[in-house]
Amino acid sequence: MSVVAEDITVSYGQHRALRGVSLKAQPGQVTAIVGPNGSGKSTLLGAMTGSLPYLGEVRLNGQDIRSMKPWALAAQRAVLPQTARLAFPFTVIETVRLGLQFGTAGDRPEVPSQALAKVGLAHYANRSFHDLSGGEAQRVMLARVLAQVWAPVENGQPRWLFLDEPVSSLDIGHQLQVMEIARDFAQSGGGVIAVMHDLNLTALYADRVAILSKGEMLAVGTPNEVLTDATLSAAYECQLRVSHPPPADIPFILPHAAVTQNTRP
Amino acid sequence: MTAIADGNLAPQDRAVQARKLHWVLTTALGLTALLSLQIGATDVTLMHMLAKVLVGEVLSPLERVVLFDIRLPRLAMGTLVGAALAVSGVVMQGLFRNPLADPGIVGISAGAGLGAILAIVLGAHLPIWLTDLTGDHLTPLIAFLGGWGTILLLYRVSTRHGRTSVATMLLAGIALAALAGALSGILVFVANDQQLRDLTFWGLGSLAGANWAKVFAAGPMILLSIAAALTLGRGLNGLAMGEATAAHIGIDVQKLKSITILAVAGATGAAVAVSGGIGFVGIVVPHLLRLASGPDHRTLLLNAALLGASLLILADVIARSIIAPAELPIGIVTAVLGAPVFLWILLKRRGVVDL
Repeated sequence: MSVVAEDITVSYGQHRALRGVSLKAQPGQVTAIVGPNGSGKSTLLGAMTGSLPYLGEVRLNGQDIRSMKPWALAAQRAVLPQTARLAFPFTVIETVRLGLQFGTAGDRPEVPSQALAKVGLAHYANRSFHDLSGGEAQRVMLARVLAQVWAPVENGQPRWLFLDEPVSSLDIGHQLQVMEIARDFAQSGGGVIAVMHDLNLTALYADRVAILSKGEMLAVGTPNEVLTDATLSAAYECQLRVSHPPPADIPFILPHAAVTQNTRP
Repeated sequence: MTAIADGNLAPQDRAVQARKLHWVLTTALGLTALLSLQIGATDVTLMHMLAKVLVGEVLSPLERVVLFDIRLPRLAMGTLVGAALAVSGVVMQGLFRNPLADPGIVGISAGAGLGAILAIVLGAHLPIWLTDLTGDHLTPLIAFLGGWGTILLLYRVSTRHGRTSVATMLLAGIALAALAGALSGILVFVANDQQLRDLTFWGLGSLAGANWAKVFAAGPMILLSIAAALTLGRGLNGLAMGEATAAHIGIDVQKLKSITILAVAGATGAAVAVSGGIGFVGIVVPHLLRLASGPDHRTLLLNAALLGASLLILADVIARSIIAPAELPIGIVTAVLGAPVFLWILLKRRGVVDL
C-alpha cells in the first residue's frame, strides 16, 4: 500500500518538464517534493494525481491509476489545488460538501462541519466563499479535501492527501496549523504528498523529502539526509547554509547572501 | 459585499428553500398555464367552457378548435421552449463557469439563424416535391440542422485526444458565429422585401405558428435534452472548482462536457427552430434563481425549467393580448420585461456577478 510513480516523463510541447522521475511515498509519512521554480514539482504532482498526460506508471495502493475510474480515485485520494477557485457564490459549508460525493464521508452529514472546525473556520460556515481572503479560501479548500478522505485509513487501505503548495498564501501561524493537520493525517495511517516551497517547514514536518531540479530527481531521503549545503545549493543554484540548531537537530536553512551574487551565472 | 439574497441563511435553509421553490414554481406554472388557456384573441374563455362542460353541454366547434388546436399546442410549445432555454442557460453557465454565458455563446443561435435564413430565402428555389414534403416545417427543420451543425462542428474543433477544451469552444464559437452572421448577411442582401420581413420576425421569436405537429417534432428532443441536463447537477457543482478539481472529486469530466453539449444542442436547437430567437430567458432565469436559493445545480436545473416555462407562457399571453387581434413577437416581450429587471438586479446588487 503506497503511492508509486515510476519513470514519469511529462512534456509540454517540445519542452520536457519531467524526465524519467520516480518517487515512492509510504502511508504514515509526509512526503515533501521541493525544488526551485520550474523544476517540475507541480508537474510531478499533476502526473501522480492523473490530471496531466504522462509517460510511465503511477500506482495508488497497488492499482495503476490509468485503470481507475474518477470516482474510484476520489474515494482513495483527495487533491488540494494550488489556487482556490470557485465560479459561483456557494457558501463555505456548501463548498466543503462539494468534495463529499465519492469520498469516504459521503453519508456522514457531520463531517463538513468537523472539517471546517479542524481548519479553524467553523464560524464561517454560512459566509459566501467569494467574500473570503485568499488564505481563508485556501483553508476552506483544505477542509473540503479533508472531508473527502475523512478517515485516513478505510477498509485497511490508507487514504492519500495530495497538497500542491498548501501553505503558499498563509500567515506563519496558519502555515504551522496546516502542516500539523497534514502530519496528524499521516500519523493516523494516511499518506501525505505535498509540494513545498518553504524548506524550513519541510525540514520540520516532512518524513521524506524529494528534491527536483530541472525536471530530474536530484535526491530523495530523510530531511537530515538530503537537506544539506551541497544538495540544496546545487538544486537552487545559490549558496545555502544548513545548520542544525539544538535541541531537535532539525535542519535549518539560511541563505548565504554575500556569496550568492558571485555564483549566479 | 455578501450580496446574495440569502447569504445569511444557514445552508440547510438554502437547500430547503430551493426545494420549496420547486412547489412554488410548479404552482406558478399551473396558474400561468390556466391563464394562457383563458386569454386569447377570441371571446372564448376557459371559464366559460368549463362551466359548459360541467352542466353537460357540448362545446361548439369554434370552442373546440380554439382550445385544442390553438391554445393547448401553444401552451405546450411555450412550456417546452421556456424550459429548454432556461435549462440551457444554466448548463452553459455551469460549463463555462460564467454567469453571463448562454447558448448563443457557442454559436447555436447564429447557426440556427443561418439555417432559418437559408430556408426563407432559398426555400422558394427548392424542388416542389421537397417543399411539399416539409410544408411549413422547412424553416424550423433547416434552423435546427443549422444549430446542430454548428455545435457539432464546434465540438469537433475543440476536442483533441478525447478532451474538449472549453476555452477553444468559446473562441471557435465566436468565429463560427461571425461566419454564420456573414453568410446570413449575404442571404439578406439577395432577399426580397417579403423575405426580409419574414426574417426579421423569425429573429424576434414567436410561438404564433404553434401546432401539434411542431410540438410533437420538437417535444421529444427538448424533453430528452432537459432530462439529460437534470442529471448534471452534481457534475456542474464540481465543475465550479475547475476541471481538474472536478475530476479529483470523482467526476467524469469529459462525459459531463459531452452530455452538457449534446443537451444544450438538443434543447436550444429545437427551441430556436420552432420559436425563433427568444432572448434573455437563458440569462435572467438562472440569475434570479441563484439569488433566491443559491447556486446548487442539483435544485437550480429543475427550478430553471419551471420558472423558464412559466415566464415564457406569461410573455406569450402578453404578446398575444396586448395588441389583439394582432400579436407582438414574443422576443420583444421577453426583452422589454427581462432587460429592465436584469438591469435593476445588477444595480441593486452590485458586486454579485463574479467573473
